Amino acid sequence: MNCEQAIELVDGYLDGELDARTNQEIERHLRECSKCSQAYELQRDLVRAVESGAPYYKAPAELRQSIQSSLRAEVPRQVFGNVSDQKRAGVLSRRSERPAMVFTPQWSWLALAAAIIAAAIVAVTVVPRWRGNGGDHLLATQLIASHVRSLMASHLTDVASSDQHTVKPWLDTKLDFAPPVFDLANDGFPLVGGRLDYIQNKPVAALVYQRRKHFINLFIWPAESVMTVADKTLSHQGYQLVHWIDGDFNYWAVSDVSESDLQLFKQAFEKQLPRR
Amino acid sequence: MATRLKAAYVANSADFDSSAKIVKFSVVEGHQEQETAQEHELASFETLMLPHLDAAHNLAKWLLRNEDDARDVVQEAYLRAFKSFGGFHGSNGRPWLLTIVRNTAYNLIKKNQTAHLTTTFDEEEHVLDRESASPATQLEHDEESKLVRQAIDRLPDEFREILVLRHLEGLSYKEIADVAHLAPGTVMSRLARARSKLREYLKTDVGKEI
Repeated sequence: MNCEQAIELVDGYLDGELDARTNQEIERHLRECSKCSQAYELQRDLVRAVESGAPYYKAPAELRQSIQSSLRAEVPRQVFGNVSDQKRAGVLSRRSERPAMVFTPQWSWLALAAAIIAAAIVAVTVVPRWRGNGGDHLLATQLIASHVRSLMASHLTDVASSDQHTVKPWLDTKLDFAPPVFDLANDGFPLVGGRLDYIQNKPVAALVYQRRKHFINLFIWPAESVMTVADKTLSHQGYQLVHWIDGDFNYWAVSDVSESDLQLFKQAFEKQLPRR
Repeated sequence: MATRLKAAYVANSADFDSSAKIVKFSVVEGHQEQETAQEHELASFETLMLPHLDAAHNLAKWLLRNEDDARDVVQEAYLRAFKSFGGFHGSNGRPWLLTIVRNTAYNLIKKNQTAHLTTTFDEEEHVLDRESASPATQLEHDEESKLVRQAIDRLPDEFREILVLRHLEGLSYKEIADVAHLAPGTVMSRLARARSKLREYLKTDVGKEI
């Protein structure tokens, strides 16, 4: 690879968007060419300045509310379009013509019956499907809830430190297992801190990492058996989840970063684990 | 459950004059299913798309550089997204939603331009404040942060947009291509140009190489 090609590809290299082979070639060139490696470092520093300096404009709470209420306003109009509007008008006029007392008991009886039927339909058709999906779905929901709660309640961490040697001993004293803790700042995932959490009725470790302006919760608890399970990726309620088991521990990473970022995170974490 | 009961109530009473109860029941169920489907769609839309509200607002604010416009655009984009939610089949809602936010934002920008409205971009606020480049270390990060923001704000739309999508939203090249309607092969070169333009701005503004 010559300098011209290297400079052309340096942005893709910086963004981790090159294929493995091109990656190797540019790395070799950067090792050998001080001019290009200087250009690379300048570009990297610029990117860091942007990622740490540019503000992230979060949505104000009232915007969420006004969006939700305008969405609600959309739904009835779609449901009761055309026909039902007339029917509803008809109902009102008819209702006023007749003594309410006669009808009230019957109406509520019908409503109750309808509710029971609806409940029965739900019980027969929906519940078995939930069960069929197994515990993963339920667990994913729990993990996401915990992730969201950690961001909302300003209770992201119990121990806020980017130093793994502070976070790990703290967690070790609170738990009856010793989860691995690594700072992954060099891979673009700085450690923010650790937290004690409660998933599936047992205490678990939650490590908090940052990716740009987004947070990743990594939940860790002991694996129940030594069996190897294929890695799992889930997308649920707009969040990404990655699950893997490595040696003694169960890992679930939850975040709203992209799936590829979460895979990068997993690789970065696994790289730190001692080879077995 | 409260709304469902109400729906059954209204639907049922519509046919109240009919004497056959069985007929009434089929009406009740028919309406109930319809409403449940709608509610279900809204619920799944919200669970899939509301988590990306911050991303939507962030992009809109960077594109429009004005809070009121950003809110209007996000609000409208969510309504549009809901109406075309049937066409969403992917698992990653963020690029899909951001595409709609971006289109809505550009529609507003275009409208403002053709109407010859005065730009909402507040030059005063975005003009660089050289005086305050104080050496105090405590202020250094804030200061740098301010300079970076101002420099990005001054970039042409297409450069500002691609930097935000990449560095604040962390989208992949493929996702950026989808959102910004670019050929996948051109994302890297546009990012490179955006970065060198930004470097140029920072250099001339601060005399400092970042």
